[in-house]
Amino acid sequence: MKQVILFVAVVILTASGAGLAEPLQLEGSTTVGPIADAFAEYFKSIYPELDITVKKTGSGDGAAALVDGRCDIANMSRFMKEKEFKQAVDKGIFPVAHVVAMDGVCVVVHPSNPVKELTTTQVREIYMGKITNWSQVGGADMPIVVISRDTSSGTYETFHNLVMAKKDMAPAVEYVNSNPQAHARVKTTTGAIGYVGLGFVDRNVRALKIDDVEPTKRTIAGGTYPVARPLYMFTNGYPKLGSLTHKFCTFYLTEKGQELVETKGFVPLTNY
Amino acid sequence: MNGTKLILTRGQATGLNRPLALTPGQDLKGYVASLLGRAVLFLITCTSVLAVLLIFFFVCREALPFLSKISLSEFLINTEWYPEADNARFGALALIAGSVYVTIAALVFSVPVGILSAVFLSDIVSFRIRAFVKPVIELLAAIPSVAYGFFAVLVLAPWMQNKFGFSTGTNALNASLILAVMALPTIVSVAEDSISALGPELREASYSLGATRFETIFRVVIPAAHSGIIAAIILGMMRAVGETMVVWMASGNAAQIPRPWWDISQSVRTITATIAGEMGETPKETPHYWALFALGVLLLILTFSLNVVSEFFLSRAKRALGKQ
Amino acid sequence: MRLSFRYISDKAFTGLTAVSVVLLSLVLIVVLAPMIWRGSSAVVFKATVEFRKMQMDLFNRGEPSELQAEIARTESFRKEVYETLDKFKKGIDTESLSDQARRIHRQFGSELRLRNITGDEYTQLRSLTRELRDRLLTAFESRDIAEIRENIEYVSGYKNDPRLTDTSASALFELGTNYLESAQSIDLKQFEQYSESIEEIEQSIRDLFGPRPGEPTPAGVRLRYGATRWDQAAKCLDRLFWAQKWVETEPAKPLIKIKLSRAHQFAGTELEKLFEYMEQNVQKLLNPRLTFYWQYFIDDSFNSHYFGGVGPEILGTVLITLLGMLFVVPLGLISAAYLVECASDNPAVRIIRMCINTLAGVPSIVFGLFGLTFFILYLFPLLGAESKGCILAASLTLAVLTLPVMIRASEEAIRAVPQTYKEASLSLGASGFRTFVTVTLPAALPGILTGVILSLSRIAGETAPILFTGAVALGPVPKSVFDPTRTLSYGSYDMAVGDRISMMVPHNQYGMVVTLVILILCLNTLAIVLRTRVFKKLKGQ
Repeated sequence: MKQVILFVAVVILTASGAGLAEPLQLEGSTTVGPIADAFAEYFKSIYPELDITVKKTGSGDGAAALVDGRCDIANMSRFMKEKEFKQAVDKGIFPVAHVVAMDGVCVVVHPSNPVKELTTTQVREIYMGKITNWSQVGGADMPIVVISRDTSSGTYETFHNLVMAKKDMAPAVEYVNSNPQAHARVKTTTGAIGYVGLGFVDRNVRALKIDDVEPTKRTIAGGTYPVARPLYMFTNGYPKLGSLTHKFCTFYLTEKGQELVETKGFVPLTNY
Repeated sequence: MNGTKLILTRGQATGLNRPLALTPGQDLKGYVASLLGRAVLFLITCTSVLAVLLIFFFVCREALPFLSKISLSEFLINTEWYPEADNARFGALALIAGSVYVTIAALVFSVPVGILSAVFLSDIVSFRIRAFVKPVIELLAAIPSVAYGFFAVLVLAPWMQNKFGFSTGTNALNASLILAVMALPTIVSVAEDSISALGPELREASYSLGATRFETIFRVVIPAAHSGIIAAIILGMMRAVGETMVVWMASGNAAQIPRPWWDISQSVRTITATIAGEMGETPKETPHYWALFALGVLLLILTFSLNVVSEFFLSRAKRALGKQ
Repeated sequence: MRLSFRYISDKAFTGLTAVSVVLLSLVLIVVLAPMIWRGSSAVVFKATVEFRKMQMDLFNRGEPSELQAEIARTESFRKEVYETLDKFKKGIDTESLSDQARRIHRQFGSELRLRNITGDEYTQLRSLTRELRDRLLTAFESRDIAEIRENIEYVSGYKNDPRLTDTSASALFELGTNYLESAQSIDLKQFEQYSESIEEIEQSIRDLFGPRPGEPTPAGVRLRYGATRWDQAAKCLDRLFWAQKWVETEPAKPLIKIKLSRAHQFAGTELEKLFEYMEQNVQKLLNPRLTFYWQYFIDDSFNSHYFGGVGPEILGTVLITLLGMLFVVPLGLISAAYLVECASDNPAVRIIRMCINTLAGVPSIVFGLFGLTFFILYLFPLLGAESKGCILAASLTLAVLTLPVMIRASEEAIRAVPQTYKEASLSLGASGFRTFVTVTLPAALPGILTGVILSLSRIAGETAPILFTGAVALGPVPKSVFDPTRTLSYGSYDMAVGDRISMMVPHNQYGMVVTLVILILCLNTLAIVLRTRVFKKLKGQ
């Protein structure tokens, strides 16, 4: 028993001594989170004493945290809303956006599917339940199994805004909670249609041309592919030059930063 | 069985002894001490009650604003669940139906297998085999739910698509099969305990009258142990109702009521999956957030009423046995 | 007739019960066996030289001189691969060729600025190299051999121009002649196919061997090494040797997958040799060796579990489990003792029982919500502690979750102790408390241990309750119980739904799940052994 108390005491003491370095706190989107994670891991491998925490809660929470001064960088998969800006300015905080990467959402089907391209309208009608068989869009006579990401994900948000034009999906649409799951479902189901980030397209699923544009790094970064969006990091004003915050949110401009963005399945912005 | 009638409570037993050994003063002291001890024990036991009350309180507190915004009848009758749409609709009927479908189907698979296995372990095999098999079955409970989820998505779903030609492999059937497997250890374990707790007398009496094993088990053992078996089923059912991660991965999560209603090869979405899947990124203090907590309350009420029913059932069974 | 029916029904019933148990065991095997099979490959596998490089760099493990020799050996074989590839690419990779031409032109410009020449001369030379560059670019983009030859020959015409010799611009000529040479050797009609294929081949080779010697070290740890495992390498080789294609057999019917040999595709070109060479020398290129990587269980992980092991996860799981047991065992035991020994059948007790049953049925995700709102957002700030997810909060939440399991099992165990034991003790004048501790508790111990086993497995395996209360996917090793931690259960969930990287390392995904199962198995076995020993001891007395 004594030993236990001693152990606990020692543990608590050592804990209070930690955390002296200048802390950098990031909060926000689960989409941007992995990029921030990768950056943080790289920064820590160079400066082990750094204290960087990345919280993945959601874009709205990120904005709120920046407004309240709870974080240094807000990761957001959408631009700040008017209301959030107003709140921020009222509190003397001036959000500055850094676009760290582009996120393209690819509509994918099983590789055995003869359909090679669809228009945005067709995809929307499939998800709304108006088109239920592949033969209606020039494919084989197969019922369409429609797979969507969960409604709280950033990928869903992009798809919902850019493809669905904010219309409701049909009740028969299946939901999966991650990109790997969506990939696995499409890979194993011949009649499936789903959507995943560009990084998840491999030889097991085929990305469709949308409105006659093939999803590639070039078309996404160049803005010609219709289902793509920028990913942001917001700071309070432009960060003090040379500060950790400044280094962190301009890291995407370096070659290493772009490499990390790419390994996480996003499209680096400067790689035209 | 018959032993229960001879039970002397501790109070009675000590009451018999005390006047012989103790002075009235000591007796009083001992009485107060035991009362205090009992009170302390009672308080500790009440931790569970406290936990339940706290859970109810905290979940209800977050759900209350929702009920002031959206009428209860719309919540319970409407089948449209579009919490993120511009004109958000919170109809939970399809989700409730999904939970019911998955749970009932899971019970249909797991109850026969579970009870038969329990009978096999308690009445048919030797003690040695039982001592080996029971931990193995308990091991099934130790497999993390994520592992079952993997299995459901990567193995079971493609298999069902290829074998039965279902258009989608992640459906109510898939989820209920996996849930059945997850509920089985509980059902087998608890049912086996209650069946073997009956003791040999009843069985011996039945066998001596010339009954076969089948007749003994069906006419004597199972009726005598039925309270424990029902408890086992209800515990298994609760595991099925409350399971989250597996259902989220295996059921397909389409917020619809299958049409025709008996077609369990269609995707459904359960209450737990909805909470787990949507809670993470829902902004606080929004109708959607409150709605998820309202779903939590719904689940609590569901499990609580299941309990009340089972309690009623068990007490009636007890009384019936007492009269025999 | 009746008798035979009874006989048959009896046999059939016995058979049925046996079938159901067999079914159960079968399920266990079907679910567990493939998982364990795949998971074990996280620990036992054929490791290539890349694996040993990684171990050296990240964990400082292995013999440096031996490793250097091994690397040198494999590099000498790899050189040939790179050379063949580069030679072929000179004529194929027009994009990088164009880039080179542009760079040379730019470089020449800046060189001129440093030279002491007149403005006229400068403009003249600049426009000359610009024209040469544009000619080259036209040649690179052209698919017509005559046009290519014409352009390259025009460029080569300036080869001996004294103004360009010994300047950086002279590199343009080499570029042109090289291109012409390789353009003549390949079928230009297949150009598009080639350049598409070559990209995949290059990627496969990069996946196999990692970055080329001399290239800068990539930022991501994952990209610094090639295929560390033989199974990974086999996949890369498959991609390298075979192109996959989906072809139409009938219109409006599903496509059919076919495999095309790349060696066949590149027949007659420089690259053909590459495939044969690699097929023959694959062992020497990678040097695979069967390895037992037991450090998997203590190593930290890198790049979202791409490399490394599950050490911190195991630590976190054990910590949370033990701390949770510390709360739940006494609490459950006392509650059970009270319910059996002291409580009579009054409404208060009935309510308690009902609450315990309800608690058993509360969905695990609701426990998560409860743990977040009560322990972290309400209780911790109240007690002056920091309001954040931590091991303590997770353990407490899990303790509440398993409380009903513990109570129920102990209750059954205590109830099963024969009444005569207690009566004997009580009649000897022992107090109720003494009787319970010295007589009832030891006799009930096997059953109580069953309860411990069940709650232990539940605590270690649950994911949903710790989602919000103390588990993180990535983070430092916890220093105290007030830090959040990684756990095996949350870790496997996170890998299942995580990012792209976890998709590439199925062995690590399964490895983590299997580690969890094995950990629980070990804890279970411990408890079961304990249970049998106690049981034997009791019987012996």
